[in-house]
Order: sequence, then C-alpha cells, then structure tokens
Amino acid sequence: MFHWLEKRPFFFAVAVFVVISFAGLIEILPNFAQASQPVVGTKPYSTLELAGRHVYIKNSCNACHSQLIRPFKSETDRYGHYSLSGEYAYDRPFLWGSKRTGPDLHRVGNYRTTDWHENHMKDPTAVVPGSIMPAYGWMFKNTADIDTAYAEQLTIQKVFAVPYNKEVPLADGSKATVALADSVEGARASALEEAKVIAADMKDQDVKDAVAAGEIPEIVAIIAYLNSLK
Amino acid sequence: MNKTVLAAIIVVIAMLGFTYAAVEMTGGVDKLMKGGDWVNMLAILGAVILVIVTSFVVTKYVRQMQNDTATGKLADENWDGIGEYKNELPFGWAVIFLGSIVWAMWYFLAGYPVNAYSQIGEYNADVAVHDAKFEAEHKNMDAETLKEMGGSVFIVQCAPCHGLTADGIDGKAANLTHRLEEKSVKHVINNGANNFKTDYPGGMPPMLLQDPAQIDAVAKYVASGFKADDTAGKAAFLAGTCNTCHGENGEGMPSVAPKINGWEAAMVATVLKDGKKGAIGAMPAFNNLTEVQVKALGAYVTDLSK
Amino acid sequence: MENRPLEYDYTVAKMFMLTTVVLGIVGMLVGVILAWEMAFPAVNTIAGQGLAEYTNFSRLRPLHTDAVIFGFTVSGIFATWYYVGQRVLKVSMAESKFLMFLGKLHFWLYLMLVVAVVGSLLLGITTSKEYAEFEWPIDIAVVVVWVIWGLQIFGLIGIRREKSLYISIWYYIATFLGIAMLYLFNNMEIPTYFASGGIGSWYHSVSMYSGTNDALVQWWYGHNAVAFGFTVPIVAMIYYFLPKESGQAVYSYKLSLLAFWGLMFVYLWAGGHHLLFSTVPDWMQTMGSVFSVVLILPSWGSAINMLLTMKGEWQQVASSPLIKFMVLASTFYMFSTLEGPIQAIKSVNALAHFTDWIVGHVHDGTLGWVAFMIMASLFHMAPRVFKREIYSKSLMNTQFWIQTLGVVLYFTSMWIAGITQGMMWRAHDEFGNLAYSFIDTVSVLHPYFTIRAVGGTLYLVGMFLFAYNMYKTMTSGRRVEESELQNASPMGA
Ligand code: HEC
Ligand code: HEC
Ligand code: HEC
Ligand code: HEM
Ligand code: HEM
Ligand SMILES: [Ca+2]
Ligand SMILES: [Ca+2]
Ligand SMILES: [Cu+2]
Repeated sequence: MFHWLEKRPFFFAVAVFVVISFAGLIEILPNFAQASQPVVGTKPYSTLELAGRHVYIKNSCNACHSQLIRPFKSETDRYGHYSLSGEYAYDRPFLWGSKRTGPDLHRVGNYRTTDWHENHMKDPTAVVPGSIMPAYGWMFKNTADIDTAYAEQLTIQKVFAVPYNKEVPLADGSKATVALADSVEGARASALEEAKVIAADMKDQDVKDAVAAGEIPEIVAIIAYLNSLK
Repeated sequence: MNKTVLAAIIVVIAMLGFTYAAVEMTGGVDKLMKGGDWVNMLAILGAVILVIVTSFVVTKYVRQMQNDTATGKLADENWDGIGEYKNELPFGWAVIFLGSIVWAMWYFLAGYPVNAYSQIGEYNADVAVHDAKFEAEHKNMDAETLKEMGGSVFIVQCAPCHGLTADGIDGKAANLTHRLEEKSVKHVINNGANNFKTDYPGGMPPMLLQDPAQIDAVAKYVASGFKADDTAGKAAFLAGTCNTCHGENGEGMPSVAPKINGWEAAMVATVLKDGKKGAIGAMPAFNNLTEVQVKALGAYVTDLSK
Repeated sequence: MENRPLEYDYTVAKMFMLTTVVLGIVGMLVGVILAWEMAFPAVNTIAGQGLAEYTNFSRLRPLHTDAVIFGFTVSGIFATWYYVGQRVLKVSMAESKFLMFLGKLHFWLYLMLVVAVVGSLLLGITTSKEYAEFEWPIDIAVVVVWVIWGLQIFGLIGIRREKSLYISIWYYIATFLGIAMLYLFNNMEIPTYFASGGIGSWYHSVSMYSGTNDALVQWWYGHNAVAFGFTVPIVAMIYYFLPKESGQAVYSYKLSLLAFWGLMFVYLWAGGHHLLFSTVPDWMQTMGSVFSVVLILPSWGSAINMLLTMKGEWQQVASSPLIKFMVLASTFYMFSTLEGPIQAIKSVNALAHFTDWIVGHVHDGTLGWVAFMIMASLFHMAPRVFKREIYSKSLMNTQFWIQTLGVVLYFTSMWIAGITQGMMWRAHDEFGNLAYSFIDTVSVLHPYFTIRAVGGTLYLVGMFLFAYNMYKTMTSGRRVEESELQNASPMGA
C-alpha cells in the first residue's frame, strides 16, 4: 500500500494531508464550540487602553513578559489569583508570552502604579537596580495611534459583538459600561480625557505639556493599558 | 577504553555536574530532597535521564560505525545513486514505539478519565497543605522572628518601589526609615487627605492652616517626629488645629486620625489595606497578603525607623 | 538525451544558496546582539539613544526569530529543494520553461518579502504571535510565495522520470502541506482599516480568535511550525545528503516508512505542551504531554536510520568534516527530541516553562541540528553547482569545532540558567513566603547570559568562516570534472 502511494504523488499528498489535519480538528474545534465567555468583571478595553496594548505589541513586551499566572502557590503568591480563561475574552491577540525574562504582568495593575511605571519605563535600573529591561525613552516622545485603536474597537464591536456601550457586570455586583465614541473625533476626545487623568499622576513635564496640548504620548497609553491589567 | 565511550562518559559527568551546580545555587541537594517539591525533583530527574539516555544510545550507534559493517538486501530502486537496504526495524526501537502507542491509548482512554485530574484541584490541595504547615509554625512567633519574616516579605513585595533599604529610592516612594517627609505633611495640610477610608472614614480636610510660614513650621515639626525644638511649629500644631484629631504628640486617635509621630503596625496595615496616594506618588493596596504577613510587615516597618 | 547524464539546472538553487548564507549571518548576528543585550543591557543603546528604538532587545527579538526561520531556514529548504528535487526525480528544470520561470519568480518574490519583513519588524509592525508576527499584507505575499513553491514541487513531480518518490520528496511534500495549512489558519485576521470604513493605519489587523482560543490555534501552529520548518524539511535533507556524500545505502526502508508516517501522525497532537497549566482544558494539555512522549520514537527513528547508514564507516566520519556536521546534527536532533518530550511532561514543564531551559532546547535543536544540516547540505551542493572543489577542508574543520564549542556553551549555560531560575521562582523560605524577589532571579543569571553570548559569538564566527569558504569555492576553487562528484565532495586543503 505504501509503495502504491509512493508512486502516486497526488494520493500521497492527500494521505499526508488527512493524517496531519485531523489532530487539529479534534483538539481545537471542541474548544471553539464553548467559545470563551468573559468572567464577571472582565471589560472590553477603552480606546486609550487598546492604543496602549498596541504599544505593548509594537515593542514586543511579550518577548520578556508573560500574562498567564499558572495555578501554583509560588505564582499566586507573586502575582495574584491564577488566570481564568474568561478573563481573556476580549484579548485579540492573546498575550500569554512564552518566556519570563521579566515577571508576569497579567495583574500588574494591582500592585504597580502610574508614577512607578513612569520611572521604570524611562529607566528600569532607576527603580530596580540590576534590571536588564531596556529603557523605553522614545515612548515619551512618540505619539500613540488612537485612530487605529478606535478602528479596532469598531471592528470587534461589529464582527465579534464585543459589548461596547452595553452594561457588563462587575465583581462587586455593580455594572459598568465601556463607551465607544461614534466618530474618530469623539474617540480622540475621550482618549484624551483618560490621558489627562494619567498625566496628572506623572512627573515628566514634556508629557504633561503634550497632553495639555491635546496629544497623547505612547507612554500614557501604555500606562493606561498596564493599569488595566488586574 | 574506547575514545567514544570515554567521551560519552565525560559528557554525562559534565552535564550532571552542571545540573548539580544549578541545584547547589538554589539551596543544594539536601534542600531539594527535603523540600518536598515534586516539581523540582522530577525536573532534575528528567535532566539526568535526558543526558544519560542520549549519550548511551548515540554511543551505541557510534560503536557500530566503528566496529560493524553495513549489510542487508538492497532494494531494486535507487535515486540519484542512493540505495536502500531492506533491513528490519531495529528491535528495541520497534518495541518501544509499539509500547508507547499502547501506553498512550491506555492513558487516554482509561488512565486519564479514571484519575480525572484537575489542575485547579491540585492547586487547592497544594495551598491547603502549605497553609496548614505554616499556620502551625506561625502560631508562636516571637517579635524577632516576626520582624525577620516581615523583612522577607518586604524584599519580594515592597522593595521594587521602596528599595532594598526601604529608603524610597531617592524620593520615588516613601522613605520608610522615618515616618514623614516635610513635603508630605505640607501636601496633606494643603490638600487634605482621604486615602484610608476603612479606618479613618472622615478623612482630613484641606486648608486647616493657610499661612505659609506656619505650614512650613508645622511640617518641619511633624517631619522631625515631634522632636524639633521648633516652638512655632509646635505651637501651631497644638493650637487646636491638628492636635484635636492627631493628639498632643501626634499619637493619633482610633477612627479619627492616624498616628503621625512614628510607625506602628496598625498604621502599616492601614496603608496596605487602602493604598496611599500623596505627595510622593501612589502606592497600591495589597489585599492578597495574609494576616500574618501584614503583621510581620508592620513589625518590620516599625522597626526600620527605630 | 536518454543516454547522456542529465544536465541539471541549478540557477534557482544558487540564488537561494546565496540568501541562505546572507540571511543566516544577518539572523544570527541579531541573535548575538540579543544575547549580549541580556548579559549587558547597555548594548541596547549601542547605536546611540536615538536609535535605541530599533536596536533594543524587544524590537530585535522577532527579527532574530523570523530572520533565522523564514530567512535562513526557509532559504535553505528552497535551495536544497531546487537541488535535490531535480536529482531524485531525475528531471532537469531546464526541461520546462514554465518551471524555470516559476522558480525565478519564486526567488524574486521571496526576496521582496524579506525586505518587507525586515522593514516592518524594525518599525514594530507585528501582530505579536510568535513566528507569525507578520501583518496581513505580508501574510498574503507569504501565501503567494508558498503556492508558487507548491506549483514548482508538483510541477517537477509531474514531469519526473523516477516513478517512485524518494524519502526526501515525502518530507518536502509534507513541509509544503503542513506549513500551508498551519499558516492559513493561524493568520486569520480582519484588517481594521476596511472593517471600520477607512480609519487608522491600513495594515493593522485584529485576530479572528480571542484569548484561550487564540492561544490554542497559535500553539497548534507554533509547535508544528517547528515540526514542518525545523524537522521535516531538515530530515528531507539528511536523507539525501548523508547517504549521497557517504556513498552508503539508507539502512532500512521500513524504518524510513514508519518514522515518516509516525511523525506525520503524532506531531500534530503535541502542540498542547506549550500550554501546560494554562487555561486550556486539562484533557488537551494531557494529550499534548502524552503525544510528546510518543513523539520520541518517530523522531529517533530517522536519526537512528541515519546513524546506522554510517555503520562501518567510521573512517569517513573521522576524515570528512562534511560527514561530521551531519553525524553531529543527528546527535543533536536526538538530544533535542528527547529533551522536548521531557520538558513536555507536566511536572517538568511546571519548572521549565518560561525559563531559559526552553531557550537552550530551542538552540540545541536549531544550532546543532537545523543550521548544521543546512550548512552541510550547502557544502555538498557547492562543488556540484559551481563545478569547483570546496575551497578549504581545514577551514571547514575549524568551523566545525568552533561552532560545536559554540553550541555546547549555548545549551549548557541555558541549561543551568533555566533550572536555577525555575527553582528560584518556586522557592519558599522558612516562613512560607517567596524566597526570592524577581530581580534576584534575574541577577543570578548574569554569568550564564555572558557564557551564552560568548557561545553565540563563536557560532557566528563559524558562520563567517562558512560564508568565506563558500565565496572562495565559488570564485577560486579548483575546477572539477563530473566524475569527481559521485560521492565524497572534493575539498581543497
Ligand atoms: C529584556 C527583557 C525585557 C523587555 C523587552 C521588557 N521587560 Fe519589563 N521587565 C524585565 C525584567 C528583567 C523585569 C524585572 C526587573 C524590573 O522590574 O525592572 C521587568 C519588569 C517589568 C515590570 C514590573 C513588573 C513587576 O511585577 O515588577 C513592568 C510593568 C514591565 N517590566 C513592563 C514592560 C513593558 C511594558 C515592556 C515593553 C514595552 C517591557 N517590560 C519590556 C525585562 C524586560
Ligand atoms: C478632622 C481631623 C483632622 C485634623 C484636624 C487634622 N488631621 Fe491630619 N489626618 C486626619 C485623618 C483622618 C488622616 C488620614 C488621612 C487619609 O485617610 O489619608 C490624617 C492624615 C494626616 C497626615 C498624613 C499621614 C500619612 O501617613 O501620610 C499628616 C502628616 C497629618 N494628618 C497632619 C496633620 C496636621 C499637621 C494637622 C493640622 C494642621 C492635621 N493633620 C489636622 C485627620 C485630621
Ligand atoms: C508600586 C510601588 C509601591 C509598592 C509595591 C509598595 N509601595 Fe509603599 N508606597 C509607595 C509610594 C509611592 C508611597 C508614598 C505615597 C505618598 O505618600 O505619596 C508609599 C507609601 C508607603 C507607606 C506610607 C508611608 C507614609 O509615610 O505614609 C507605607 C507604610 C508603605 N508604603 C509600605 C509598603 C509596604 C509594606 C509594601 C509592600 C507590601 C509597599 N509599601 C509596597 C509605593 C509602593
Ligand atoms: C520530539 C520532539 C519535540 C518535543 C516533544 C518538543 C517539546 C517542546 C516543549 C515541551 C517545549 C517548551 C514549551 C514551553 O514550555 O514553553 C518546546 C519548545 C520549543 N521547541 Fe521543542 N520539542 C521537540 C523537538 C524540537 C526540535 C527538533 C526543535 C528545533 C529544532 C524544537 C524547537 C522548539 C522551539 C523553537 C521551542 C520554543 C517555542 C516557544 O517559542 O516557546 N523542538 N519544545
Ligand atoms: C549565533 C547564534 C544564535 C544566537 C546567539 C541566538 C540567540 C538568541 C537569543 C538571545 C534569543 C532570545 C532568548 C530569550 O528571549 O531569552 C533567541 C531566541 C530564539 N532563537 Fe536564536 N540565536 C542564534 C541562532 C539561532 C538559529 C540559527 C535559530 C534557528 C534556526 C534560532 C532560533 C531562535 C528561536 C526560535 C528563538 C525563540 C525561542 C523562544 O521563544 O523560546 N536562533 N536566540
Ligand atoms: Ca517563545
Ligand atoms: Ca499575520
Ligand atoms: Cu512544541
């Protein structure tokens, strides 16, 4: 039978394809059927947070940082509650990472604050002597791409029914609504409002000035994103 | 001895040595065995097996290159001059392959469902064992040990902001080797404060003092730990503005105002519960720490300013 | 015609040999920079603060992985295909104008793709999924290039004279099909510019899958990209180049057969080992672990088949650096395909995952197996495509030993680093609290990062020797006759 196949390239290719494809069918499809439902407390990203997420991706922070707390005592002690599937419901793409050169960041919003991130991103060794993380000085100068974040929000609302402008339940029983502007201008304005809150806790005068002038440096966006990781 | 065998033995010994070095760096073989951490032991075992099996098997085939000769019936075909022997499968390989397939099927169809493994279940069991072990030990901790434990939590959880020596790394976080900075006191007087909603629900109103000179004086007095002979500062503090809530010497009043003349464990617990945002920056709340850990941190921080 | 030996046309093979060498050097140079950056972070700003955005670790890391995978390795796959394909199918590219045209088109499109990829990664245009970083416009170009290669494969097979397909061809076909399927499904993404009616950047996209599902698809891809990029086509190479160079017949057809179909069947199931203790269901993780262990056998099957092919031929191993590369490559292949399954055992992975032990595993596979095998293939091809003797055997020997030392330093240092780090992360002190702050677990690795950087630098030096030797072969090696090219490659002193 194998000799037969080896003389018939077409059937050979079909046989290979069948053998390699059905593992995927069996392993992956079932999970799609029970598509990940958000857990209580999981909200879609705001425009500024999403722009920050793009900055995170642009700089491949995921090359050094995971966002997956495994259910081990040593990890929950260090990073907080182990990760749950539903918490990632709005993560496109997922950012679990595969290497921890730096610590996990899945809940970093719980134990780090804006001013700390500001110091740390500007010069990691200034707060953590011996850190091998690169300094991200240019984030204080580059402007965040709010438009693209907004475009992504529109896309996922339309295509995947991500609940913007809808109430989502929170852990304490209350509800929250993540607003989605109905125009780019509106999105820029609401992102700027969020940015002002962050900039108020920062010390870098250039960043404060930029935000006052209506611009959003990448650092503000990425801090908004890091603060949202809880 | 044959050079190849010798080389294999050297490789094995070297790799075992490296593995040993890694174990040594993290506490040594003794701790590995007694530590009771399965994962560590299995990982080391895996590393050892990997080195030994690979070296052994490769050596076996290299010996055949050295001592054996190629034999077998050639197939009729040949491709660009490459022939193929119709040799049988190596026996060991075939048996293990078959065995592994049978094992995988058994594991999947019978072994796994029967064990009904759950990683979260395993986690819960682990935590329970861990807690039980240490709760028993934590019961009778003397002050000295408590402080020591506080130090160990501090290095992991707090040092990234406050620094290893708790000096706040050049003003980037609060310097915990003393209670308050002038800057912080001024900030509070000017802006009021309402961080500790659980313990001091009323908060502190802003603008109780308005004369800049007076504010300066009070700030100096408070920041010095109520020790400076600054009569102006002392007088202003006692003038019925501050002392009504914080007490004559800044010792604080339950539910009204915190102690500001030095650290006490309860105050540290308050900060950890509610976090704090002030003149220096923002500190997050730490609600995932255990009661003992909070007590230990209290003891540690209180001790720092002594 | 039938009586004369075929004149194979190696035009396209030569072009891809060139990109293999160049992209190998580029990719590994970036790897070396990364390694020094981890040991000495000041290297992040080596080109000045102003350029740090483009030279820092995080921007360069995807460039390294993609340059060595899609640049070096894939070029090597194409280069060897355009050589091996003709020879074992007994058909020359020159016989079909169409295939010749396709082949050249294939190369030039590929080259444009390389430029686009390098540019976009330096600018930070990435989707973050490992080994699938490219945004949709590049994805489309990748698919086009891949389809052209497919046409080329099946076109050549279509006009073949050798009825029955040689083992290497099985593996090339599988490479083509496997990558095609994986790449398509993992890159399902929606361009936001179009979906939002023209807002934001035109090349941005959002993944079709979210969270845990996205992770599942990614690692089904990621694991098998390793399978069909770093294993299957490399096995194709060794099945041709080792028997050919040594003049020995393949030890056992049966073993080839079982190892091939076993690999095809088992590999795809094992992707779950990248997601152990994550939020994917327990049973899938377990499946990943179990199949990883089974996977040892089909992997070792090919390696053993090759080692046994050399039975009784020790003098060749001892005297030919080319054969040394290939025998050591099989050995590293065995090492990494036992290491992988061991790391896939749940309790071992609990320690090893996220650590440098994985990086060590990656590089004993890629440096010791993939890169060695690709370089050996090119060495064997060089005298045949350039009709010249390999310029220097002693240079080749030097390269072999320098690079072997490099790999050894690389994986032993990462071995210690990974195990140390994994154990430190887990350690609790006598009070039951975490024993080490995170930065302690970073600082302790400094010596190992340094050793790795030295090892990587040695390997890169070897790459330069390789490039030099190839260049000299091409330009000034002694001319050789067809009759000298039967088996063992002619080498100058
Ligand atoms: C070369 C690897 C590397 C890269 C790239 C990197 N980091 Fe880090 N990161 C580290 C290391 C090591 C630490 C631990 C030492 C420290 O705190 O600086 C760390 C710590 C952190 C922390 C503190 C977390 C904690 O729990 O203390 C945050 C937040 C962080 N990084 C964010 C980022 C972001 C955002 C990016 C990308 C823009 C990034 N990192 C890129 C290595 C890296
Ligand atoms: C109405 C009662 C009240 C009065 C009067 C008052 N305080 Fe306070 N004070 C508080 C409370 C409550 C807090 C805790 C604030 C919080 O929740 O953050 C506080 C906090 C402080 C702190 C900060 C402690 C810390 O850990 O950061 C300082 C310093 C302080 N007070 C100084 C003063 C001075 C000086 C005066 C007089 C000008 C004064 N207070 C008057 C109630 C009062
Ligand atoms: C993300 C950084 C950060 C971390 C982590 C952190 N702190 Fe702080 N902490 C601060 C900052 C900033 C302040 C100063 C707030 C202010 O008054 O402006 C502060 C203030 C404090 C204060 C109050 C000082 C005062 O004068 O009122 C205490 C007590 C304290 N920290 C203890 C701890 C302990 C114990 C831990 C660890 C469990 C810890 N901190 C972790 C940033 C941090
Ligand atoms: C039997 C064969 C193999 C098995 C079962 C296997 C298993 C594994 C495991 C368990 C991991 C670690 C996952 C994690 O914890 O992060 C891994 C990672 C990896 N392996 Fe293998 N491995 C095998 C062979 C190989 C070979 C031959 C190569 C390359 C030449 C290779 C390349 C890689 C790469 C590149 C990664 C890193 C993936 C990432 O980015 O996280 N593997 N492998
Ligand atoms: C000179 C040789 C090389 C050096 C110094 C080198 C160095 C590095 C470094 C420093 C990293 C990052 C590790 C980390 O994040 O901790 C890395 C990752 C990687 N390298 Fe290399 N590399 C080299 C050659 C290669 C080659 C030839 C290949 C493939 C053919 C390769 C494939 C990879 C892969 C797949 C990863 C990602 C691993 C992961 O995510 O787990 N490398 N390399
Ligand atoms: Ca990785
Ligand atoms: Ca893509
Ligand atoms: Cu894998």
